[in-house]
Amino acid sequence: MSDAIVEVNDLVKRYPPDIKAVDGISFSIQKGRVFSLLGPNGAGKTTTVEILEGLRCPTSGRVRVFGMDVIKDYSPIRKRVGVLPQNFEPFDLLSPYEAVRYWGDEFGLSLGKKEINEMLEMVGLSERRTSMSKKLSGGEKRKLGIALSMVNNPELLFLDEPTTGLDPKARRDLWGLIEKTRKRGTTVVLTTHYLDEAEKLADHVAIMHRGKIIATGPPEELVKRYGKKTAIVLVGVGKEGLRELSRRGIDGTERNGDVMVTVNDPSELRVMFAKLSSIEINLKEMYTRRETLEDVFLSLIGARMEEGVLQA
Amino acid sequence: MNRILSDAYSFGIQYLRTKVGAFFSFIFPLILILLFGAVFSGGGEGGISLPVQNMDQGQFSDILLDVLNGTGYFDISMIDRGEEITQYINDNSLTLALYVPSNFSANIGASTQAPVTLYGDMSKASFQVAQGVLNAAITQLNYNLSGGIGLVSLDVQNAGSEKLSAYDFYLPGFVGLTVMISSMYFMTSMCAEYRGRGYFKLLATTLMRKSDWLVSKFIFNSVLLIASLLVTFGFAALLFDLEAVLTPMSFVLVVGGAFLFTSLGMLLGSIVKDPESGSAVSNAIGFPMMFLSGSFWDLNFMPQYMQIIAKVMPLTYLNDGLRDTMIYGNETSALMNLAVVAVLGLVFFALASRLMSWKEK
Repeated sequence: MSDAIVEVNDLVKRYPPDIKAVDGISFSIQKGRVFSLLGPNGAGKTTTVEILEGLRCPTSGRVRVFGMDVIKDYSPIRKRVGVLPQNFEPFDLLSPYEAVRYWGDEFGLSLGKKEINEMLEMVGLSERRTSMSKKLSGGEKRKLGIALSMVNNPELLFLDEPTTGLDPKARRDLWGLIEKTRKRGTTVVLTTHYLDEAEKLADHVAIMHRGKIIATGPPEELVKRYGKKTAIVLVGVGKEGLRELSRRGIDGTERNGDVMVTVNDPSELRVMFAKLSSIEINLKEMYTRRETLEDVFLSLIGARMEEGVLQA
Repeated sequence: MNRILSDAYSFGIQYLRTKVGAFFSFIFPLILILLFGAVFSGGGEGGISLPVQNMDQGQFSDILLDVLNGTGYFDISMIDRGEEITQYINDNSLTLALYVPSNFSANIGASTQAPVTLYGDMSKASFQVAQGVLNAAITQLNYNLSGGIGLVSLDVQNAGSEKLSAYDFYLPGFVGLTVMISSMYFMTSMCAEYRGRGYFKLLATTLMRKSDWLVSKFIFNSVLLIASLLVTFGFAALLFDLEAVLTPMSFVLVVGGAFLFTSLGMLLGSIVKDPESGSAVSNAIGFPMMFLSGSFWDLNFMPQYMQIIAKVMPLTYLNDGLRDTMIYGNETSALMNLAVVAVLGLVFFALASRLMSWKEK
């Protein structure tokens, strides 16, 4: 625990009249790791991360960053922290080059032309360095946001839903950028509602639901811990197939037109296959798979997925 | 059709719930009606302030003052006999003063011409009004004294500054107005935009402090407004025969005004949540100040109670200070007005720095 650069103990945040956005959570973040707060919209991720950033006051609880109190010792902390807020909007009428220079000045750094160009090169905005920010694409704007958040070479970087609303290519580009950042030794706190993003990037995941952390650990460990079952996927059978299975006493769940039937142990697969084969359903394909982080997540919070995004 | 009605109803509710809608639909017209009604009705108690220097010891000057008092248009005050009237007018930045010569009663007693002199800034509306009322009062006095023979007459003389034109009067007022609009409106709407787009949160993650940010905006506004003053004055001087002059004090006042209104704009910006409410708040403060601070007309032209309201408007002191220095050359009075501007600026700056929050509660 000595390597923990963020320590949160019994953190509570209430909003009037009596909404508990964060409900007594505790966790720590180790140096050099990518820590992901995962949860559907409204789970309390952004509130938590804004408290860690010092941008929001907690109702109660203790939050320490670099061993200092995040409210009382805000000034020394923010020199060492970078922040990409949710829904980041760049200053429309500044070019990326001007914005990086401006932001460097705000941290008391007088960045030279070379340093600014290197920063833009790192995030892949060299070609667009003189364009007005309002003309950048969504992905480019987010890259600029990451460049600004890293202008002070932070030890701890907060990325609040950095890829929300971006197309798949832009998302992949940003994932590459986050990987690069991790390799430089920066600790990253990543909030996301994309399960694949957390699975791909995070060393440690905390699943939040209704203000509480309901599971925490490395992604593969969570799958081992909560995802012991094996699923048989009946492709394209839909709700009608689910009803037919139910009539035969077989439980399943329907997701995007597919139905999943789970068994607790692989040894039960043969029996289940035999049962399923005897049922007249319009089946396109059938396969088995071990549960993923997505299955774990969905079973833990009872959420559903729409286009890869968690819905509460 | 139901969809259309439902949409109209929903939109109407949202529009009114923003409070901006309610303000512009209901409150703003009322403010304008009250404002213009009050200014142009001439209603209210009291009237045009008229300092009088009465050098005459006889009874007829007392009768003249009684007649003037009886009109109900003038608030008469007395100037000490030892004062030199034109100097007194300059020193006190007066727009009007009536001079009654020492031989006034003697001349009337001898049935000869007895002129009185109205000094003032002939470019101003209040001078024209005062002249008209005085002429009417003197006609009545002549009728009472001699059955209508014109013994008493009214001379007029420009004072305060030679050959002042309306442009001379309006220039300092419009400079003051520009200072207010550019600084206050700019800051209020900028605060709203910064909050809406999350820039304040972003800035809070840097080492910049709120007071730094305010000072930087003050510096920007000062430079902008000094440039604006030079351009405005330059054009006015080229196009019109100006008597008003640019003085070092006028620059100091513009910088002081930029400080005052930048701070006030940030203070207002600390309570607004979005650009719509930003403009509503700016307009609610800015519009009355625009009309009641002497930018468009002489404050003496307004009823007494409106003049009292004008005294609580920060822009009044900026406008008065600019006129003092640019038209009357009265640096002492300009300095007094600058002091008020500076003190108000400091108060607003302190309040804004304290109340403005970049973080979430």
